Amino acid sequence: MAKKNARSQEEVKSEMDMSPMIDCCFLLLMFFIVNAAQITVSKDPSVNMPNAVSASEMKDANGCIVVNVFADPDVMGAKSGKALEKYNQTYPSGTIWGVADGSGASIGYTKSQSQELTDFINKQREAMEGKGIKPEMIRLYLRGDADAPWERSSGAIRAAAAAKVTNIVFGTLPAK
Amino acid sequence: MARRKKIEPPEEEEMTSNISSMIDCCFLLLIYFLVATSLVSEKKLDISIPASSTSSSSQKPKIDPGNIYVKSNGVVTWNQDLTVAQAYDPSLEPGTPAYLEQRRMDSLVESLKLLKEQADAVETAPVVMLHGAGKAPHQRIVDVMAALAEADIHSVGLSTTADE
Repeated sequence: MAKKNARSQEEVKSEMDMSPMIDCCFLLLMFFIVNAAQITVSKDPSVNMPNAVSASEMKDANGCIVVNVFADPDVMGAKSGKALEKYNQTYPSGTIWGVADGSGASIGYTKSQSQELTDFINKQREAMEGKGIKPEMIRLYLRGDADAPWERSSGAIRAAAAAKVTNIVFGTLPAK
Repeated sequence: MARRKKIEPPEEEEMTSNISSMIDCCFLLLIYFLVATSLVSEKKLDISIPASSTSSSSQKPKIDPGNIYVKSNGVVTWNQDLTVAQAYDPSLEPGTPAYLEQRRMDSLVESLKLLKEQADAVETAPVVMLHGAGKAPHQRIVDVMAALAEADIHSVGLSTTADE
């Protein structure tokens, strides 16, 4: 009897095994990091996105070649001084198209550099095809400024068509 | 003889690493990315432009193509006779009723749906051409694209016209 009582008085150390929870946590973390990186790739704060009443969800940015189309600097400055400041810091004067290369560095192209833009899109397409992405899944993701003139957007589409990319995705925000 | 002191071995200390701060960081990052991914509310409007190999077909289309014209001031017309949207006003604040009204092109959607029904009846794809003036605002082109998406038309020919 006395022996039993002594045993029950001993403190029982209870420990929770945290390792499966940490594993799950890391997996979720990696999933969200990858997803966030894919969707927000090349997002440029100098672009004031247009709004659309009926547009579908942007679920997969895989196979998208992102081209930003900028408005005139004075129009951009009238809407947001910060956007203009960022634009001036990032791109040389006269830039109407902006892209991000593989390392994330921004490259700007002027109106007279449509051939360079075509070459860039061509290189991106070839690299994506090399990674096994189907040609029909390779799309031009046109992130045009709401106030950019159509000739700039159509210039980017022409450059993509010359690089054999004929599927175009217009980036928009929902019109609430 | 000197007394020998009995040396006791040191008590074994349990070596444990404190992982609670790592878990805290991990959770913080997890919550950040959870919120960040849901905040990205970018939407898309898919279109495909006819490839040069298909556009060279000499066959006459079964139905007349629909033409949408966007002028430099943002006025949109359907087949050059029906005005479906008035001039674009860039000063309107997003989210206001006037802004939403400017985004909607119900009569264009109706015309496009009709064209699609006609095309479906003869088992062909609807042919739509979008003629945008060089100085037309990109927002207006996106408005037209949204109307095309609403009418379930995803193939459109694009052209840039002289400014009017």
